[in-house]
Amino acid sequence: MTEQEILSATDVSKTFQVKAGDVTAVDSVSFTAGRGQVTTIVGPSGSGKTTLLYIVGSLEKPETGAIEVAGSNILDPATDLVRYRRKHVGFVFQFFNLIPTLTALENVMLPMDLAGVSPEEQNRRASELLDGMGVSGRLLKARPNKMSGGENQRVAIARALANDPDIILADEPTGNLDTATGRTVIDILSRLAHESDKCVLMVTHDESVLDVSDRAFRMVDGHLNEIRA
Amino acid sequence: MRIFHRGFRSFRRNYTRNIIVVVLLFVCLTFSMSMLAVKLAADNQMQTIKGTVGNYAEIKLSSAYQMKQFEAERQRTAAERAAEARSMTTAQEQANRVSDLVPATLADEFSKDNHIQTYDEVLETNVTVPGLTNTNMQQLFQLRQGNGEGQGGGGGGRGLGTGGMTQNSFYFAGNTNGASASDFTTGAKKLISGKQFTYEDYKNANPVVVIEKNLASQNSLKVGDTVEAQVSGASGVASTIDLKIIGIYETVQTQQQSQSSSSSVSSFNPAGNEFFAPLSVVQKLNSTPAYVSLGSYYFDSVDNTAALKATFKKDASGTGDKYELATDLSDYQAIADPLLKARNTSVIGLAGALGACAVIILLAMVIIVSNRTRELGILKAIGSTDRQVIGQFAVEILCVCLVAIILAMGATALIGQSLGNWLLPKSTSTSSQQAASQSAPGGFGGAASRFLNQDNLYKNGGRFSFNSASQKQQAAKLNVVYRGSLFLYGILILVGISLVGMAIPVFWIIRLRPARVLSME
Repeated sequence: MTEQEILSATDVSKTFQVKAGDVTAVDSVSFTAGRGQVTTIVGPSGSGKTTLLYIVGSLEKPETGAIEVAGSNILDPATDLVRYRRKHVGFVFQFFNLIPTLTALENVMLPMDLAGVSPEEQNRRASELLDGMGVSGRLLKARPNKMSGGENQRVAIARALANDPDIILADEPTGNLDTATGRTVIDILSRLAHESDKCVLMVTHDESVLDVSDRAFRMVDGHLNEIRA
Repeated sequence: MRIFHRGFRSFRRNYTRNIIVVVLLFVCLTFSMSMLAVKLAADNQMQTIKGTVGNYAEIKLSSAYQMKQFEAERQRTAAERAAEARSMTTAQEQANRVSDLVPATLADEFSKDNHIQTYDEVLETNVTVPGLTNTNMQQLFQLRQGNGEGQGGGGGGRGLGTGGMTQNSFYFAGNTNGASASDFTTGAKKLISGKQFTYEDYKNANPVVVIEKNLASQNSLKVGDTVEAQVSGASGVASTIDLKIIGIYETVQTQQQSQSSSSSVSSFNPAGNEFFAPLSVVQKLNSTPAYVSLGSYYFDSVDNTAALKATFKKDASGTGDKYELATDLSDYQAIADPLLKARNTSVIGLAGALGACAVIILLAMVIIVSNRTRELGILKAIGSTDRQVIGQFAVEILCVCLVAIILAMGATALIGQSLGNWLLPKSTSTSSQQAASQSAPGGFGGAASRFLNQDNLYKNGGRFSFNSASQKQQAAKLNVVYRGSLFLYGILILVGISLVGMAIPVFWIIRLRPARVLSME
């Protein structure tokens, strides 16, 4: 792993047991991703890309392999996964996954609240992040059901950045948006990688995203192949 | 603090479903709290009753024995009785005299039982005081002449019988301490001059007496004077005792004669001419040392009645059915039964309502948590620990239950008394009361039967009968009020329901895999 590379997956495999038998969602996958880069994994539905993303985000546990983030293997039993999720990764989901009863501002403050940041600091940083995403004014007090898809996704990105993580994991971030809004979201993620030196790992079936990717992989039936270095 | 803030915020923001849960819980908790309030009130009332009723006992001649004697006496003719009286030796006379009394040894032995708290011995008898005329006795003789024999049954004790009595006969009541075991403790009689005789007077057999105010004024008697009383069956020098008057009382309330219904009879008040003297003096006057009319006992609790009965059975073994241990257990039962029924019903209701609360909170949490599975997954994905998520839900559930129980406590204050009244059986009559109200066949035998079977006790120094319906209703009244214990039980219920409600979220949160939840569309 080079100095620029913050994330490294080595020989990672994950199998699910279903009624029809075992399904290998991720099959001996190895890859790296670096700071200041947008790394994209494309592939059809069911190819295992979301599973791989969740493994990197510590939401799934693989049977084999190693995931190193900033030099530490997160699959080591001694690793505090809650701390890892708070400090090192931020999730952006296809369906935004904002808490419906909280306002935009509160949704962004929530990860900081869970991490023990003071209420004043939460408020200041959340406002700043949302402002950076173009969400301000009355939208700060709006709940998710009162905002558009694009606005929701921008709030979700701000929430992912709340604790200033090294890695942004984006799962089909444009999947629930129209083309123009999707492009805006991709631009924001690209800007985060290039201007804020974040490692953005994005999985999608939308191949148009490859235009803004620094590195790209294709995943088919659990196997990962690099298509752009 | 942050967990509380997040939980309370979630409680406020999810108000629609929370209000539904609050309303459902409120209904069940109101019922639970009301039932609990009724139960506590019934328990409290029963404890109060236990302090006054059901803890009194006395050893006396059994009703069965008295009835047997009475029937035997009825079979004999006047001539036979006269012949027996003529041929009776002194020893037979003495045996005849004590046959209707209780040996003091039996009363003393029984008093050693651990459950006995206080006891007294009483001897009631008629004593001739040659120098005084009993004006009430004169009235009685006139009444008998007017009404025939019908109302005169049941000689003995404090009844209206006049057998062997003259116009110089007075009713003497003796016990071990005049102040503590007489009508004076109940306020029926009040000392207006002088003093009462003491336990020392009893121990030393001091010849002192307390007499009634009207009797004193009619005969120009005052404290310090003496009256001469005849010793029963004695002759010669020792046939009289000079009794010094040490106190004068007035009758505040005439003696209750529960069995008498005739107005002319009820106006008759032999208790007005009653003498109170130390037991040992009365025993001497009656020539029955070591014998008493009854042993009177207060014991610790009605719950120990059976144990006392067993003790008495052991102490009285060998005497057949001559003596009995009478208690006011039936009075206690007459009062406590409706309360007990109300209490039992309230306990069943409480259990049912709490069960319903548990079911409601469990079902509600199943629905709520399953609807919020995605939220739980998000919280875990963005760095929330299981403890943080569980804490947030705990606060939320606690808020729901707290609102419901506060409302329920308020509602309980409004409806608790009504529910208590509704649960309390309307009729407080019992079989014993019904039995008492059933008249035996009329005439002399009927009256005697009623007298011999009466349950009246010598409680508080006077004949005690708790047979008034209003008295029972008053005693059995449920006073459902807010008590500190109700509030504490409310908090316990709050905690209990909240913990039951937490079972589902805790189980759900610990098992939840965020990746599975977030993958779902």
